[in-house]
Amino acid sequence: MWGMVRRELARSSGGEYVLVHQQEQHGVRQVHEDNSANGNQHRGFSMSSDDDMIDITTTGTVTERSIHYDDPGTSHLPGVTYCMGDGEGESLCYQRTSILQHVAADGDEIPGIGQYEDFHTIDWQRDIARDRMRHRYIVKRRQNSLFDLVKGAHDAWSGWVCVLLVGLTTGVVAGVIDIGASWMSDLKYGICPSRFWFNREQCCWSSNETTSFETGNCSDWLTWSEVLGQSRTGAGAYIISYLMYIAWALLFASLAASLVRMFAPYACGSGIPEIKTILSGFIIRGYLGKWTLIIKSVGIMLSVSAGLSLGKEGPMVHIACCIGNILSYLFPKYGRNEAKKREILSAAAAAGVSVAFGAPIGGVLFSLEEVSYYFPLKTLWRSFFCALVAAFVLHSINPFGNEHSVLFFVEYNNPWIFFELVPFVGLGIIGGVIAAIFIRANLYWCKYRKTSKLGQYPVTEVLIVTAVTAVLAYPNPYTRMSTSELIYLLFRKCGVTNTDDLCDYNRNFTDVKSAVDLASAGPKVYRAMWLLVLALIFKLLATVFTFGIKVPCGLFIPSLCLGAIVGRIVGIGMEQLAFNYPHIWVFSGECSTMKDCITPGLYAMVGAAAVLGGVTRMTVSLVVVMFELTGGVRYIVPLMAAAMASKWVGDALGSHGVYDAHINLNGYPFLDSKEEFAHTSLAADVMQPKRNETLSVLTQDSMTVEDVETLMKETEHNGFPVVVSRESQYLVGFVLRRDLNLALAQARRAVEGLRPSSLVLFTSNSPQQPPQPGTPAPLLLKNILDMAPITITDQTPMETVVDMFRKLGLRQTLVTHNGRLLGVITKKDVLRYVKQLDNEDPNSVLFN
Amino acid sequence: MWMKIALIFVFVAFVVTNVTAQIDNDARCKCLCPSLPLPESNETRKGNQFKQYKGDPDPSQCTCRDVVLPKLSDAEKAGLPPEFCVRCDCKYENRNTTIIKVVVIIVIWIISLLVVYMLFLICLDPLLNKRVQSNYTEHTNEDEMSGGEGVSHAMGVRSNVLNRVGHQQDKWKRQVREQRRNIYDRHTMLN
Repeated sequence: MWGMVRRELARSSGGEYVLVHQQEQHGVRQVHEDNSANGNQHRGFSMSSDDDMIDITTTGTVTERSIHYDDPGTSHLPGVTYCMGDGEGESLCYQRTSILQHVAADGDEIPGIGQYEDFHTIDWQRDIARDRMRHRYIVKRRQNSLFDLVKGAHDAWSGWVCVLLVGLTTGVVAGVIDIGASWMSDLKYGICPSRFWFNREQCCWSSNETTSFETGNCSDWLTWSEVLGQSRTGAGAYIISYLMYIAWALLFASLAASLVRMFAPYACGSGIPEIKTILSGFIIRGYLGKWTLIIKSVGIMLSVSAGLSLGKEGPMVHIACCIGNILSYLFPKYGRNEAKKREILSAAAAAGVSVAFGAPIGGVLFSLEEVSYYFPLKTLWRSFFCALVAAFVLHSINPFGNEHSVLFFVEYNNPWIFFELVPFVGLGIIGGVIAAIFIRANLYWCKYRKTSKLGQYPVTEVLIVTAVTAVLAYPNPYTRMSTSELIYLLFRKCGVTNTDDLCDYNRNFTDVKSAVDLASAGPKVYRAMWLLVLALIFKLLATVFTFGIKVPCGLFIPSLCLGAIVGRIVGIGMEQLAFNYPHIWVFSGECSTMKDCITPGLYAMVGAAAVLGGVTRMTVSLVVVMFELTGGVRYIVPLMAAAMASKWVGDALGSHGVYDAHINLNGYPFLDSKEEFAHTSLAADVMQPKRNETLSVLTQDSMTVEDVETLMKETEHNGFPVVVSRESQYLVGFVLRRDLNLALAQARRAVEGLRPSSLVLFTSNSPQQPPQPGTPAPLLLKNILDMAPITITDQTPMETVVDMFRKLGLRQTLVTHNGRLLGVITKKDVLRYVKQLDNEDPNSVLFN
Repeated sequence: MWMKIALIFVFVAFVVTNVTAQIDNDARCKCLCPSLPLPESNETRKGNQFKQYKGDPDPSQCTCRDVVLPKLSDAEKAGLPPEFCVRCDCKYENRNTTIIKVVVIIVIWIISLLVVYMLFLICLDPLLNKRVQSNYTEHTNEDEMSGGEGVSHAMGVRSNVLNRVGHQQDKWKRQVREQRRNIYDRHTMLN
């Protein structure tokens, strides 16, 4: 962009600018400048008594000035790279004009102010202040006319309207995804010839034949072997079905991978780490865009149908956030203010979980506990409302025909006995161990993918993973069925009419009331257990390799499934123990009546919660989601015990949950508010510039346009402090590079007679000495100056500084000493410093 | 493109609300009961000896007594043990076939549209753009700057719209290319 601006300048100002700088040796030019006009460009500390602390030598500045205290990951500052670098200047020029044209209707404010570049951190304080100003303006205007009154009212309720729309749309989209995914999944097995839009269950809906668990077939539903003219059973039919299963899986997976690659690469993965980062105040342009929404919705249907070991629940959060982002543009209050937009996104994330699990309250808590960063009470209520609306819409669509929004809804009302807490905690421990293994292995694999050649073949990788998954999954009925169905099967309690292997108990039905009593397990139960153990190993391995491939993929369902398998196995073990030894003390006689004493399905649920809790390190929201899934509050204590145990074990074995681990892996600038900062360093240790470096500052009334441009050209800082003068560096304010750029560009268009020698004034009045005749009119830029930057002193402990960054959502803070400006600490400096203290590579924080 | 997608979503929303308003749901009451005659009372149950009975779609009347018993023959009823109904599992379910149909058809449409567009971008677009690209690069930055107003006046409204669409598309393509570079080449995101 800058290159363009310069060229334009050169044209407009008749070649007064001789921009040799780009061709010259960097260092030479700087030396020249340092020694010439602004010889005193370094800190004005020569007069103070702090000389021992701040070295004012000019040696060394030449090279070290190019170390930026606000370094935007080398090629991510579009304004610099595009125009100086790879010849894509015109794209940026275009973008810039579009921004200007777009916001030009805004009035006297310089268009584009308050927006951010891609991969930049937002300044919460500034955005919230902007919103407050806007709000005051509207309130003030309200008395003027009826129209303004209506406008004020519209402004007041627009937040609620926005979340209402988000909730409605999320519910509809979730319904579409649920129906589409279940239809496509069954396409792997066969087709309903009379009404092709039905899945197997719907196809057999009105058939009077009894469907069995293994095949689930009725005569209306044709398997592929029947379509191809074979019989329904037999070796030939099996082979054909097997091959068709693999073929469909490969087709779906390749479609998903290539759609993602072609249209919206940001649609891959789970999305929750990125949503967390975005909500913490980071800009990733296009991550919540329209194409991402479409491709993620379609892609998740395809990849779930491909039989991969992944779930659609995590991506549902991303989809909901996309909807929130798109709809927020209908309301300028939210669309144009990044901090306000994040309130809508928090509500949308709640709606996402709400539709994913049919758990509105769980969704709100998930948003609060896991994804959101800034969560005022107002947002809590809006999230609640949004989640409610979304759940209601999905419920009325009734995608699964079971009156619930999830396939694996179960209703439990069996009591549990006190001793069972021991196996529940045990399940929590197992869950924590499994989760830790999973996170370690997955992280290792993702790192390998990132650094090795494997990363160059994303589509091939998807196809290989799919092929292997399909080939291995088909022979085992428990892995062949969709993961949600398997979870349902494991959660379910064996009723009188369930005939699948897991319910093959030697019950006798002489007694009327003996519906679900304890019974010895039949041989099929043991067979099922072996298959489940194999399924557990397979799912664990498959998920390790699946999570991270370049298709939309979530982690909730696979983790739930792993836990449910373990839980069911433990549950059946306990049940048989109780059946065989009903009188030992642990059962305290409660099982002697042989009724309702151990429910393996409940163990499956607890196990599922344990593994999911270990993987994501959620606690409160997880328990709430789980009890909303089961429709009963009776199991809160077991679920809490398991979730807590698994969190402890997980924390002991590996420090991060999977989302935080992925945030670390990718180096997103996420300042975790969960971690404590326990070092005794001071702000002066972290502050930039370091010793021997100079601080780039603007002065309030003594720099010319040319000086400012030179400064911006030579540095890549994203903002500049404004001081009274170089001699007395008393702080006036802070100005962002982007705003400065925009304001200068605007001035170049609008202001007549702007010369490179025009003074740039950040004050409201003219400088002390009256302008001599002949000098051009000064450029007033006070409106872009942030007069209230957050400042600290150099002796502030870093603990406090980190807390300020977390709680106030700062982008940078200025460090002063004796009232004079000393340096700057940006969010990136803090992140780097934290990484350094953790003995990690500080350069892995990529973006600004 | 966006209009089309927006229309589709509006259409879905419309259909959804419209259909839920109508009482178009097909409901069923499904009862699973042991097939008759029942096994001997002390014999343990094996296998799938179950029979489905489907009856009146009235949620309050979805019980074994209301659905299954009327369907049994007199001979069966005569030998019916008292615990027969206890061992029946009756469930009331409903669904909405219209929603399923509409949704699945829309999903098929969206996927086919996307696939067609993808094939177009892969196969035809490079051929078409080869020509365009050559005179596109002649547009220097200055032209870009003024292109919004100046150039479009000369051409007709039609080409203006086309231009804008083309411009949007180019912009979008660049964004996607950038995303692809971030993810697939540099591996800086979404690993």
